Amino acid sequence: MVRRLASLALVVLLAACGGGTADDRPVVTMSGSALGAEGAVLERQLARFRRLHPGIDARLQRTPDDATQRHQLYVQWLNARAGDPDLLQLDVVWTPEFAAAGWLLPLDAYGPDTVRYFPAMLAANRWRDSLYALPWFVDVGLLYWRTDLLPAAPASIDVLTRTPDGARWGIVWQGARYEGLVTVFLEYLGAFGGRIMDEEGRVLVDRPEAVRALETMRAQVARGVAPRDVLTWHEEEARFAFQNGQAAMMRNWPYAYALLEDSTRSKVAGRFAVAPMPAAAGAAGGRPTATLGGSQLAINAHTEHPREAWTLLAFLLAPEQMLERAQVVGQFPTRPALYDDPRLGRALRIPVAQVRAAVASATPRPATPVYTELSGLLQVQLHRALSGQIEPAAALRAAAREMDALLERTGVREMMLGGRP
Amino acid sequence: MTDRRLAWLFVLPAVGLVALVAIFPLGWTLWESLHLHDLRMPWRGRPFVGLENYLELLGDPRFRDAMLHTLLFAAVSVSLELALGLAVALGLDRAFRGRGIVRAAVLLPWAIPTVVAALLWRFMFESQAGIVNAALVSTGVVEEPVVWFVRAATAWVPVVLADVWKATPFVALLLLAGLQGIDRSLYEAAAVDGASRWWQLRHVTLPLLKPTILVALVFRTLDAFRVFDLIYVMTGGGPGTSTEPIALYTFDALLQNLRFGYGAALSVVVFLVTFTLALIYIRWLGAGESR
Repeated sequence: MVRRLASLALVVLLAACGGGTADDRPVVTMSGSALGAEGAVLERQLARFRRLHPGIDARLQRTPDDATQRHQLYVQWLNARAGDPDLLQLDVVWTPEFAAAGWLLPLDAYGPDTVRYFPAMLAANRWRDSLYALPWFVDVGLLYWRTDLLPAAPASIDVLTRTPDGARWGIVWQGARYEGLVTVFLEYLGAFGGRIMDEEGRVLVDRPEAVRALETMRAQVARGVAPRDVLTWHEEEARFAFQNGQAAMMRNWPYAYALLEDSTRSKVAGRFAVAPMPAAAGAAGGRPTATLGGSQLAINAHTEHPREAWTLLAFLLAPEQMLERAQVVGQFPTRPALYDDPRLGRALRIPVAQVRAAVASATPRPATPVYTELSGLLQVQLHRALSGQIEPAAALRAAAREMDALLERTGVREMMLGGRP
Repeated sequence: MTDRRLAWLFVLPAVGLVALVAIFPLGWTLWESLHLHDLRMPWRGRPFVGLENYLELLGDPRFRDAMLHTLLFAAVSVSLELALGLAVALGLDRAFRGRGIVRAAVLLPWAIPTVVAALLWRFMFESQAGIVNAALVSTGVVEEPVVWFVRAATAWVPVVLADVWKATPFVALLLLAGLQGIDRSLYEAAAVDGASRWWQLRHVTLPLLKPTILVALVFRTLDAFRVFDLIYVMTGGGPGTSTEPIALYTFDALLQNLRFGYGAALSVVVFLVTFTLALIYIRWLGAGESR
């Protein structure tokens, strides 16, 4: 008993001496995806960083890979003003939320090289004129199309409303009631020249362009161009359908490319290509739109080592690290210059020329602190309209009304207009 | 008097435990529900807002719908479970070879975790190639495969079926225990008097089984009213929100949107409704026993 107590005291004593490290170097923790190859490449980069900056002890803090779970965990930590983790991997729609809450350090003081990133991705990381995060890697919505069933990459939304000969369905997408549905809708919306809301927080989802976009999606389902099942589908169900050769086109994220190329499992290997989602022919302001996804890096406002955290952030965003991520996990860089770098072409499975067009048309979702709730309201109404419970125009009117009420109730619109909270 | 005091002393730990694990959290939730507390909007603080959350709740169509869905789901699934459970219990009450094995086998659905059961049912009904659609099309009941989870009316079918499948064994077992407590001589007397089987069921079995039926009813109604995991896995509350029960909406407000004040108000309402239901049942039970 006495011996056990003594050893316990020793452990406590040791732990008290600088949290396990023998030296008093500042410890910078970063939290993010640490699964499989993604975790391995990050560990490798952190090791390289430690060699390069012997004065900083950089460590990885594992957080759940599921976005909702990670979000919940971050909110709990940051609410409690925890200084750890110092560096946060954020989903693209979280930045304004965390920035408005005062949980992130503005990065402008560090002189970030903003001209070297895609402007749309920086816009998504700004809140009230300050920059709170930098884009780490980018995910964009892509239109996969069968080169043996279609003569060329679809140049207009019209092509997406017909089933070509030889295919069971024209197109498949993600239509279950979740964030994925909003990312699909955003692309049709952009194709018709619409937006969810503008910079002043005015909700625009009940405009005629939006109604036409939703009617187009609904017609796809109603006419059987897309199976009714898409309304229960996430990314993987859509991929299975396309992979089995049942659909001529599919809207999905870049991850599907490598899986579809695998001829042992895929029936369409070598018979498909990707393109940006096309614009609607003749729609005023209509433009090819790819929903912007991906991850950002930001610094915890309560960090004890802001300088060191910035050093690590800048290191992880350097071109070399981005190229390595592209090669190992297939994630697209956020620096336009890298798309001219021949090394990217060798690193990526997916042809760079096809990627570049989609990344160039990447469009962020509304930058607002209440995005998740806003999207939740929109998801319900979109799903009601697509499943035939309500007319598209009425659904979007209801969504706009609810979103307006939310922006008023929370005071977010005032904040977006520049008023103090 | 000292006996009384001693008795109080003996119950004190139990009362303390109940206070700690039940009454304290309940009081806390009640207090929270009177505040505006939005975890994601710390700039709004946590001001006391009185009954504002409850007023918002009353004007919230999604809350009204969720309440209605829950009540309908509870009414339909519990009635079905009770009817089927009674039939199964009556069947199992007879003496036949292998009764022990059959009784154990009947309990199987009840033993499977709800999430696993829900997934199984979803796979059976999901997609055009699901086993249910395959069976319906091949037997000619329908011409085209039904996309169950896309229409409100059809989405309820697999949900209710799964719940009935899962909970009927529980009801059956409970009723079986009740059946075995009935004195056999009553049936013999009834048979001597020339009573038919149907008459025996109505005038001997059911009245004597009433307390057990009520117990089953209390458990099942309260469970059905709090239904969450089954629907979360099977439909996620969709299409739209047309299969969303109150527990799922509360989860959405509390853990997805992190609106603690409003979520607490929702929880309090759910508590009040289930508590009232329990009280009604207990009264009913008590009335049965005093006779």
